Amino acid sequence: MNAWLQIFALDFLVAGAALVVLGLDAVGSVSGRVLGWLTAGLLGATLAASFVLELSGTAPHGVYVSGAWVLFFKRLFLIAGILAVLGSIDWLAERTPRRQAEYYALMLFSLSGMMLLPGARDWVLLLVAFELMGVPLYVLAAYAKTDGPAGEPKLGPEAGLKLFVTGSASSAFTLFGLALVIGTTGETRLSALPEGGPSPLAAVGMLLVLGGMSFKLGAVPFHMWVPDTYQGAPTPFVAFLSVAPKAGGLAALSVVLLSGWAPQATIWAPAVVALSAASMVVGNVFAVPQTDVRRLLGFSGIAQIGYVLIALGAGTTEGLAMALFFIATYVFTNVGAFLVVHAAAQRSGGHELSNLAGLSRRSPWLGAALLVFLLSLAGIPFVVGFWAKLFVFLAAWRAGLTGLVVAGVVLAVLGLFYYLSVARSTFMADGTQAEPVRASPALSAAIAVCLVAVLGLGLWPAPLVEVASRAATAFMQGQ
Amino acid sequence: MSHLLAITVAAPAIAAAVLLAIPATARTAIRVVSLVGATVSFLGSLQVAALYDRGQGGLQLLDSFPVVPSMGIYLKLAVDGWGVALLILTGVIIVTGVLASWSVGKRDKEFFLLLLVLVAGVFGVFVAQDLFVFFLFYEIAVLPMYLLIGIWGSSHQVPAGGPFKFVWKRFEVGSKEYAAMKLTLMLLVGSAAILVAMFLLWGHSGARTFDLQVLEGTKFPIHIQHLVFPLVWLGFGSLAGVFPFHTWSPDGHASAPTAVSMLHAGVLMKLGAFGVLRIGMVLVPDAAQWWAPIVGAVAVINVLYGALCAASQKDLKYIVAYSSVSHMGVVMLGVATVNAAGWNGAVYQMVAHGIMTGLFFALVGLVYERAHTRAIAKMGGFAHVMPVVAGFFTLACLSSLGLPGTAGFVAEFMVFAGAAKGASAWWAIPGVLGAFVTAVYVLRACKAIFWGPAPQGEYAQLQDVQRTEWAAPLVLGSLLVVFGFWPRLLLDFIDVASQGYLTRLPALALAQLGAP
Repeated sequence: MNAWLQIFALDFLVAGAALVVLGLDAVGSVSGRVLGWLTAGLLGATLAASFVLELSGTAPHGVYVSGAWVLFFKRLFLIAGILAVLGSIDWLAERTPRRQAEYYALMLFSLSGMMLLPGARDWVLLLVAFELMGVPLYVLAAYAKTDGPAGEPKLGPEAGLKLFVTGSASSAFTLFGLALVIGTTGETRLSALPEGGPSPLAAVGMLLVLGGMSFKLGAVPFHMWVPDTYQGAPTPFVAFLSVAPKAGGLAALSVVLLSGWAPQATIWAPAVVALSAASMVVGNVFAVPQTDVRRLLGFSGIAQIGYVLIALGAGTTEGLAMALFFIATYVFTNVGAFLVVHAAAQRSGGHELSNLAGLSRRSPWLGAALLVFLLSLAGIPFVVGFWAKLFVFLAAWRAGLTGLVVAGVVLAVLGLFYYLSVARSTFMADGTQAEPVRASPALSAAIAVCLVAVLGLGLWPAPLVEVASRAATAFMQGQ
Repeated sequence: MSHLLAITVAAPAIAAAVLLAIPATARTAIRVVSLVGATVSFLGSLQVAALYDRGQGGLQLLDSFPVVPSMGIYLKLAVDGWGVALLILTGVIIVTGVLASWSVGKRDKEFFLLLLVLVAGVFGVFVAQDLFVFFLFYEIAVLPMYLLIGIWGSSHQVPAGGPFKFVWKRFEVGSKEYAAMKLTLMLLVGSAAILVAMFLLWGHSGARTFDLQVLEGTKFPIHIQHLVFPLVWLGFGSLAGVFPFHTWSPDGHASAPTAVSMLHAGVLMKLGAFGVLRIGMVLVPDAAQWWAPIVGAVAVINVLYGALCAASQKDLKYIVAYSSVSHMGVVMLGVATVNAAGWNGAVYQMVAHGIMTGLFFALVGLVYERAHTRAIAKMGGFAHVMPVVAGFFTLACLSSLGLPGTAGFVAEFMVFAGAAKGASAWWAIPGVLGAFVTAVYVLRACKAIFWGPAPQGEYAQLQDVQRTEWAAPLVLGSLLVVFGFWPRLLLDFIDVASQGYLTRLPALALAQLGAP
């Protein structure tokens, strides 16, 4: 029993936090804001606990392995959760005052699912965790069901429905693929493979599983839901949706590909490379004509996933470490960018590029913060995104994926074009609105954390590189 | 002082950090802090020149800090003879540039902040001895341009004409936003090429290091060299205005505010040429020698094509901008000679052109600020109302066409002498022809703007140079003459470096190399 507690302590804490929030809401008069701060506090305490408690270990039959790799992801999910909760508090209290506790609880349930993913070494556990992560997101995406201009179709339900339909389809893909794989091996162990190499049937199954998991990542051609959901869902939640499930998807994909199917790299590696190339091209090209910042960031996110997949396609320890570094920095960068856009939209009444006009004068620090996040996404030196792209390219180069690296470098320039277009409306355009933009304390705190992380790691990336390398090494050694 | 180079590079960056803490309303304080930051760097570069031992040559004043040691990235600073000359150039231009932008009207805090960040990057490039850090500084120097041009720039004011009129209208060619985006994207494509070249060098050095000295000592396989050199040439060359990747330069320089044009045309374009010389020629010498005739031929196109384009412009800033394209061709021609005279001439031309074009843009800025137009057709006889501006402008023109006694002459003479000595002596002929076309267009522009009957109407009351505006013409103008009469001042430094790097070049006959 103690061993179980040791391995799953953080997950229990998060699930427990969800129950506490729901319980407090049920017993009565706790204000929504208090619940929000409580959620953030509990997540913070869990994060702190992850540094204090001894958490590594292996569950019976090796279905779950906890070590440096798992801790890396759990901390990342917790940080993303804290930032998203802080960003949501005031929006929730203003827009949906009567259903705040559910929002936090759903987010916590989704988080607990994510946190189970990286350690799972058994198909059943992995799938349950994957669904636990995904199902609450459908509800959350449609949370702003009444938002939007009067007389026009509401975007919230559309966002939720698109996520739900594609999410269900992806589960179906995965399950069907698994039926083929497990059918040929007869075991639910992740690394169980038929002797003498997989049959064609199992290979098809593996590709189906890969496709199903790519939905969560938003990799092309499984990306259709991304821009529409980002546009319709509440922006603080999109900040969460755009990073945490992607990190979760990366964790799951790494576990499946590098731990489970490492010997079959010849089957999945070309597929990953193709996904990566397609994501980079489609994401970057389609981001150019966007005028809604959320859609633009959606396509940019698709492109960024392409960069992550380059590293995964390399299939080396170094590549995996760099993918971890990339996704960790992406959490801070993208959450920061979405929250600034959210703050600006709160005062300007929309998420169009034109609503950002003159932001640098209406709130100099938000304008500067947005510029930093955009430059980081574009991969410009001295903000962390540069190191992320560089390390990923470097790892892929050494693994021999020269073509992908060259394509990535060229497309990064295209990326710069649309990121600069956002900067252009922020800094150069004269907007029609002049009243200052003020972010609430909670929102400001979340943005400030992201800003410090992006700048700090940009100047001194070494510590995070170390942590990511240690996590990747531990993972590759089976811990 | 062992950290002299670090201080020189960091001073503008520190000043920029101080600016963050100053409220935007304290306008004088902002300018004073910027000036102090720039001056410290300038004095630092003079001190570097004083401490540099010309007898010994090589890299001196070494200073090193670890950045990502596990990848072999160190912030290693040291200076060679070329670096000394270019540091001084940068110092002069930034100090005069800050003084020339004393009258920036809007959002001045952000303006000076970006300007200082940019110049910190420029200083860094000239002293970085680690390829990766070199690249980082290069990027810092390039990126602030986007905002500097986009926010504080000016748009084209001569109506579009010619067969491509519709393109101009459709894409707002000549507007500052267009210029800013074009410049940033073209230079970033160049950076991407450099990045790929860097990986190639890093991957094949065997030492997993970016240290330039180690890389210099490595003999790269010839097929790698043939990949690296064109990437470096076109990557850095896009910043140096190498044809046909020069098209950002006229738009960018014409749209940029005064100090930014001064810095960009005066110093930043030199980063490109310096990169080709320092990285391309020195690190991959075998391929460089094979490619040199092509580099030279393209440089000749630059000289002539730039001059002819300048001759047909109707917008004052575009003339100066195209003249930069032409003069950078002279620099690249010197680089392509691969002999001491040519390289000395190339670096000397970087300095001479930097000072000259800085002077040009400072004066053009003054004229534009007062007359609010860039169209030459509207000007005429300005010498009657602004004699000082007219005098210095004429001086810059004379240096531009290479009049003996000005810095431009020394530089062009050495480059053409080097070219005549080199493998392709015919380069000197179109080169000299380019200098002749230069004479035609600069003198014609000078006449059209300043000479002739006194201006009437709104231009009758234009003011001459005032207070801080004196700095740029006075300092840059006198330097043009000083460096014209006393080239040894800088040439001693430059020559020591050129000789040093040339001795490392393998004496391989071109025939042995064969095609890539």
